[in-house]
Formats: sequence, structure tokens, C-alpha cells
Amino acid sequence: MKPITWFNLFVATILTAAVLCPPEAQAQLPGRFYWRTLTDSDAVPLIFNSISGNTNPFSPDHMIVSTANIDANVAIASYAHTFSLFDRSAAALVLVPMGNVSGDVTVAGKSLHQATNGYGDPMVEFNMNIIGPSAQDNLAKAMRYEPGFSVDVLVDLALPIGQYNSNQALNLGQNRWYGRLGAPINVQIGPWVPGRRTTLEFLPAVWIFGKNNDLVGQTLKTDPMFQLDAHLTRDFTEHFWGSIDGQYYSHGKNTINGVSADGPSIKAYGFTLGYQINENINLTAGYKSTLNNDNSPGNLRMDSFMFTLVFGWNKLVEGARRLSGAN
Amino acid sequence: MNIFGYLLMWFGAVAGHKKKAQVLLTGIVAVVLGTPVLAQTPAKRPNIVMILGDDLGFADMGSFGSEIKTPNLDSLAKDGVRFTNFYTRASCSPTRSVVLSGVDTHKNGLGNMSEWTSPNQKGVVGYEGFLSKQMVTLPQLLKGAGYHTYMVGKWHLGKQPDLIPAARGFERDFSLLDGLSSYWDMSNLAAMAPKTVFTEDGKYLTKLPDDYYATKTYTDKLIGFIDANHHDGKPFFAYVAHQAPHDPYHLPKEWRSRHVGEYDKGWDAVRQQRLKRQIELGIMPAGTELADRMWFIPDPIVLAAQARAITGKKMEMYAGMVENLDFHVGRLIDHLKQIGEYENTIFIVFGDNGAEGADLFKMVAGTPGTLNFLSAAINWSQTHPGAWGDPGSYVAYGPMWAQVSMTPFSQYKGWLAEGGIHNALIVSGPAVKRARGSINGGLMDVIDFMPTLLEIAGASYPKTYEGRALPSLAGKSWVKVLAGQAESPRTEQDYLGWELFGNRAVRQGEWKLRWQYESFGKGKWELFNLGKDPGERKDLAAERPDKVKTLLALWDDYVLTNNVILPDRSPYEVLKDTQPPRVPVDAGYPQMIYDRQFVPPKEMMSDPKP
Repeated sequence: MKPITWFNLFVATILTAAVLCPPEAQAQLPGRFYWRTLTDSDAVPLIFNSISGNTNPFSPDHMIVSTANIDANVAIASYAHTFSLFDRSAAALVLVPMGNVSGDVTVAGKSLHQATNGYGDPMVEFNMNIIGPSAQDNLAKAMRYEPGFSVDVLVDLALPIGQYNSNQALNLGQNRWYGRLGAPINVQIGPWVPGRRTTLEFLPAVWIFGKNNDLVGQTLKTDPMFQLDAHLTRDFTEHFWGSIDGQYYSHGKNTINGVSADGPSIKAYGFTLGYQINENINLTAGYKSTLNNDNSPGNLRMDSFMFTLVFGWNKLVEGARRLSGAN
Repeated sequence: MNIFGYLLMWFGAVAGHKKKAQVLLTGIVAVVLGTPVLAQTPAKRPNIVMILGDDLGFADMGSFGSEIKTPNLDSLAKDGVRFTNFYTRASCSPTRSVVLSGVDTHKNGLGNMSEWTSPNQKGVVGYEGFLSKQMVTLPQLLKGAGYHTYMVGKWHLGKQPDLIPAARGFERDFSLLDGLSSYWDMSNLAAMAPKTVFTEDGKYLTKLPDDYYATKTYTDKLIGFIDANHHDGKPFFAYVAHQAPHDPYHLPKEWRSRHVGEYDKGWDAVRQQRLKRQIELGIMPAGTELADRMWFIPDPIVLAAQARAITGKKMEMYAGMVENLDFHVGRLIDHLKQIGEYENTIFIVFGDNGAEGADLFKMVAGTPGTLNFLSAAINWSQTHPGAWGDPGSYVAYGPMWAQVSMTPFSQYKGWLAEGGIHNALIVSGPAVKRARGSINGGLMDVIDFMPTLLEIAGASYPKTYEGRALPSLAGKSWVKVLAGQAESPRTEQDYLGWELFGNRAVRQGEWKLRWQYESFGKGKWELFNLGKDPGERKDLAAERPDKVKTLLALWDDYVLTNNVILPDRSPYEVLKDTQPPRVPVDAGYPQMIYDRQFVPPKEMMSDPKP
């Protein structure tokens, strides 16, 4: 293997940031994201992540380079529509990542800087409740809704049409198909009353990746990755809530041109605060970090800030409000 | 009581029960042989358990046509007799005062509720707002006759030390002195009286027991009272004045979801179902027509699913309250069976007035800026349906469901239409010789409890008590009715009279004359034939002036006999100004809001031509 190729490969492995836009970035959603609501509702979630660390936060292998500094700003604009399928709550989403990623790494006294920006691979998502209350297809059911113990199925598929430059290690698109199978689980603890709601939420999922046949001239294969997100959420008031968040990733092997490397496991912890500004707008802000953030060699360091703004509406609710206002 | 009295009572105690043939035979043999068996072991006089459901409606028990599941109360009906022409007063403390004194409200201190005593009634004897100390009470007389006397539940007849249950004849008590309270704690609605007051055995409580829930705790306490004295063999009188199902509908979680969605069909449909069952059961005669839905209540058919669900959920909560009450009554029944006292216990079950259709929360705490509002904002603002039943929630089901509880009658608590004063009554136990599960239509009144129970207990009503001259009893004993020797304690000439909040009525036979404030009334006398029209749908005053005249004379007699002073202020004095104008309720009118999508014949449908 030519040195430059090796170096490119190495950098590519580190900075795939981009490459990778974003399975993890897209996976990082706040607690309560998969709560069920009235069917035939629409929502536009806007998710902003600012991530930095000594590894590429988006890379499937998360190889640690103590001298690396990676910064990524990723926004995900989405559109979601809820509906009823076989009397179960269901939702379809389209997520479009965008943003910029830059990274510096020093290897053998040689520094490399790469940066990119644009759109990542858009993702379509379908989720549907399979255990729990039936669909909230009218206001009466919505009024009586309590999640109790509910389990959804979640299917994501990313379309490899995002920004990708095969001559550069750093890209926003992945140049391969990938997707996720998950099962959001919501456990209601105590009463389902605004101001007093408590939930324990889990998102176990498996990410599956296709091949990237042109990663700086190399072929990248990634074994499935296991994800487990956990949130303990609690209302503080009717409109203000918070959560303690935990995240665990167990990465599969990355193989580049037949050379394999085990991916690390990542454990991160954080918190989120959420506020319902009005009937249409929800805002959350959160922070998450790996536990040990010193610079000792081999120690993975990564932290992220996340902000989400979800604007939702339902034509029935909107119409009723117009009529009430008129009266 | 002499030996013959005991003999009669003993026969009464055993008749109608499972082992009656064997025991009766033994008794007969003993009498025939002249053996003084009974003199040696006189039959124990019956225990008396009086179960009062606060605001429980006429049609709320299964045995009176309800879909609400009340197997334990129904078991008493099955063992005893149901009365379908039983009257109370229109509100709680007046009824309770009559239960315990046997004297009309205008003489016993509850001529008006203390909360609404009018300026011209203040200081007048009979209008004290608490059970007058001039009265002797049923427990005082029963205690004097050798009974243990217990009370649990709501008192509402005075809070001063000389007015509380222990001072009025109850040997043991666990009592809520106020008219309403949280079921979970001592929370009250009023900001200036934020804690409700309880007594236990004559002491004011500083706190409630751990694990307190009103209906459960009252039952636990009563069982404890009974057990504590069971060894001495004396009979007991238990006044079980449950708080349930009075609002707020506080309810353990496991009782809240027993009727989910069942009431989304709306109040009209449930009323029709209840009336159908009442006719099938024989509670109401065939051909009975429902009272009109009150004019300010919408036809549920035109309501959206959400509106029907939210109002239906209130009724779900109410049904849960009644079923929880029934459950705890069942615990009491089971306990009496376990200790061998059930067969010798007379049960009396009734509601104290019509079901509650008014919005008490709004009346007390509904004005922003007031102390009560601000207090309620902190303590009573759990308004989300998911919080209903929890501490801090205040749910009541409103006039639409109150009319359901009072099927087939018109109106509800506080008023003198049948829906305010006509309630269900079950009597079971040794005094009842009628066929088990039978139904009787005799004209009964809550004022009859005192003479009836004294007679059953072998006691009498004195002319004086502790040096005080007592007013005479106004009620009629039911002993002959219970024994099947009469169909009613009243003759066709006897009448009943009512006055509360300025509304007034008299009933003689099947005729009732009624005056009520507008818009529930007409502000003038109305005449109804309750035999043909229990729903008071048709005012016959213009057609039958002779009846009006006759009943007016009875009203005058009632006023004179009982010193009725019509209040110069009333909670209803401006009611008509706050309600939509009263209009007739005609099914399906106006057609405009009932019209459905027109669907043309398929063969005549086509796309537009190009």
C-alpha cells in the first residue's frame, strides 16, 4: 500500500465525518421524540448538533486519534406526518441532514486539515406502534391516551445522494446505502398528567451498512452497529421537562480493502431540557459527553450540544382554534 | 318489652331466612309446650345499618335500573324490598337533620342550609343552620334503649363541641363535619377554611390516618367499632353516612377505568336504557315517559367525539365512585356475615337527595381574583383528565348526567322537582316480611325513619328529653308496610310538604303542587299528576284549579304547622338571568343540526361533462 494511500485511508477513517454524515448524528434525538400524538398531524422537526472530540463522531468505527480535533455542525430538517395503520399509530418522516464538518489531525508530525459542507444523505423513516394503546385517530382517543408500556418498530433508510467527493476523505454523504431497524420503547411511570409525567424510554436499534466502493479509492465495509439510547424523562411543570440521557454504541468491524479493525464501544451521558413554547412549538436543548474527557492516549473524547425545535400542527386543532378565536 | 313483645320480635327476626323452617318449628314447639325458652334466651333485637349515599341518584343502583355495577347493594335489594316512592329533602344537611330527628327541617334547625341562611331567617328558631339542640336524636334514643350507636362518614349538622356526633348520641364515630372534602386528605375548597374538620370518638382530629381514603377508612372504622363491642351481645345502630359519591370524584386508580368509553354514547341514550331496565324490573310502570332533557343541555348526538368523551369520562368517574362505594358496602356485609350478625341486621340504603347537577367548584372557586380562586389554583387545579381522581382534582359530572342518575325524573339536587327529592330506598333484614326482592310503591319519607326504627328497636319517642319539651314526630312508622300488612304508611289524605331555598311543594296521593324559581320553575304554582306523569312533563294547573286549591290549602297547613319562613334571599333568585331562556325540548328540533349527507342514487351519479 502506498504511503499516501495509507495516509489517506487513515485520515479517511478518522474524518469520515463527513463521510458519514450521519447515522449517529441522525440517531441522536432527544427523549420524547417518539411519543405518539393525534393522527393526521404534521410536524417539522429541526435538529441541530454541534459535536467535537478526538474521534469522528459520525464514523462507524470511531477510531481514536489523540491528536485529532474534529468539529461538526449538523442540522437536520425533517418533515413528519402521523397516521393510523391497522388502528395503530404510525408516522412517516423525511430527514435531510446538512451542515459542515472540519477536522485537523497530526500524524507523524504531519498535519492535515479537511473541511466540507452541504447536504448529507437524506433519510426516510417509518415507525409504527405495535404494543400499546391504539391509534389516536380522534380527539376522544387522544384525550384518553396513556402510553403505558408501548413498543414501536422503526425502519430508516438513507439514500446515498448526499454530498460526496471520492477524492476527498471528508464528505457529508456516505456513498452507500445504510439504514436502521429499531424498536422505540416507552414506559410510563406514574400518572399521565401534564406536569407529572415520567417516562423511561429506550431505543435499541441495529444499523446496517452497505459497501462504499470509493472511499478515496478504497472499499469500505462496515459490520452492523448496535445502538441503545435511554432517557429518563420527567415533567417539571406542564410545559417544562427534563431528561437524563444515556447512549451506548457497539460498533461493528470496519474493513477497508480487506483490512479490518474493531470499532469501539461508546458510552455517553447527558441531559436535556425541553419546553413547550405554545401548542405548536417545542424546544429542547441538551448536552452529552463521554465520561472520561482527559487527553490520555486511547481515551475517546466526544461531546455534543443539541438543540431541537419541533413545529407541529393538526388541521382539526388549528380549525377549532380559529373558530374559538372568532367567537 | 314483655315476653310477648320479644316473642313477636323473635319470630320477626327469624322469619324469611334460610333456616327459618327449623327455627320456626323449634319456636312453635316451645310456645305450644309452654316452655319458657324465650324468656331464658330472649331474641336479640336487630342491628340497624343505615347506609346513606351522598348525592346517590334514584337510578344509580343496578336494582333500580343502572348499568353501574352494584352487586352488594343489589344483594340487599334481593334479600329485602325496594321502595319506589321514597322522598328526601332537596339537599344534604336538611335530609340528615330529618333522618336523625324525625322532625321537619323548619323546626329542627335546618329550615335552610347554614350556607344559605337568608337575612330574614337569621336568629329564627328552626333556622339555626345546625341540628337544633332542642331535638333529641335517633342515636340518643336508641342508645337509651340499649343499642350501641356508631357513626362513620359525613355529618354536616354542626361543628361546635356540643353539636358533633359524640354529643348527639353516637358512642363511637369517625366523622367528617363539613359538607364536602377531599377523599384523600383534609383539603377543603374554601380559602378561609382550607382544612375540613374531622372527629373521632368526640375528639377533633389533627390529621387523618395513614392510608386514608374516605370510603375505605369509614368502612374500616365501622368494622372496628362493631368488633370492639361485639362480645357484649348488644345490638347496634350504625349510621353509615358515606361521602361517596358526592363530588369531587376522588377515586383510587384501579376504579377509574371500569367504564372507559361506555358513556360516550351520551346522556339521552343512557337515560333511555335505564328507563327500559326500570320498566323491566318493575321500578317504573310501563309507559313511563322520560322527563325532558333540560333545555340548556345539548343533544349529545350533535356533539363531537371529543366533547362526548370528555363529558363521558366524568360519568365514568362517577360510576367508579358508586362501584367503589358498593365494594366497601360489600366488605361490611361480608364482615357481618362472618361474625354472624348479617341475618339479624336491618339494612336501610338510600340517597340523601337528588343527584348533584350544580357546579359547586365554580360556585365556590370560580371567580378569578378571589381568595377561593387563588387557593384552588394551588390546591385544586389538577384539571387534566388523566389527573381526575387524584388529590387536587375536582370533577363533578354536571346536570346532564345528574338527570341520568335521576332517571326518569326531572331536574336534580336542590330543586323540588322529583329529580331533587325522589330517591331510591332499600330495606332488608328481619323486619321485612315481604317477598324477598319485592317492590313497593307506598308513599315513604325520610321523616319516617325515626318512628320506624324506634318501633323496631322497641323504643319510644318521649315527650321530653333531659327536661326539654320535644316537638312531636311527623313521620309514619313503616313496620306494617315492611311486614306486608299495609301498602303505604300514608293514607290518601296524608300529605308531604317541602320547602328549601324558597322552592316549595306538597304531594297528596298522586298529585303534586310545586312552586320553583324560574327557569327551573315558572315562578308560580305548577300541578302534576305523578301517577301518570312522574317526569313532571305536563303542568295541569290551568286544567285542574280544584286540585290546585286543595293542595294550596295543604301547603298553607304545612307552613303553619312547621313555621315555614320563605327566605328573602335564595341561591336561585337570579338564576333565570344566567341561563338560556327556557324553551321546549323537542326531539330532532331544529332539523338543521341533524341533517345528514344526502347521497343520490348511484345510477344517477356521473362525472361532469367536458
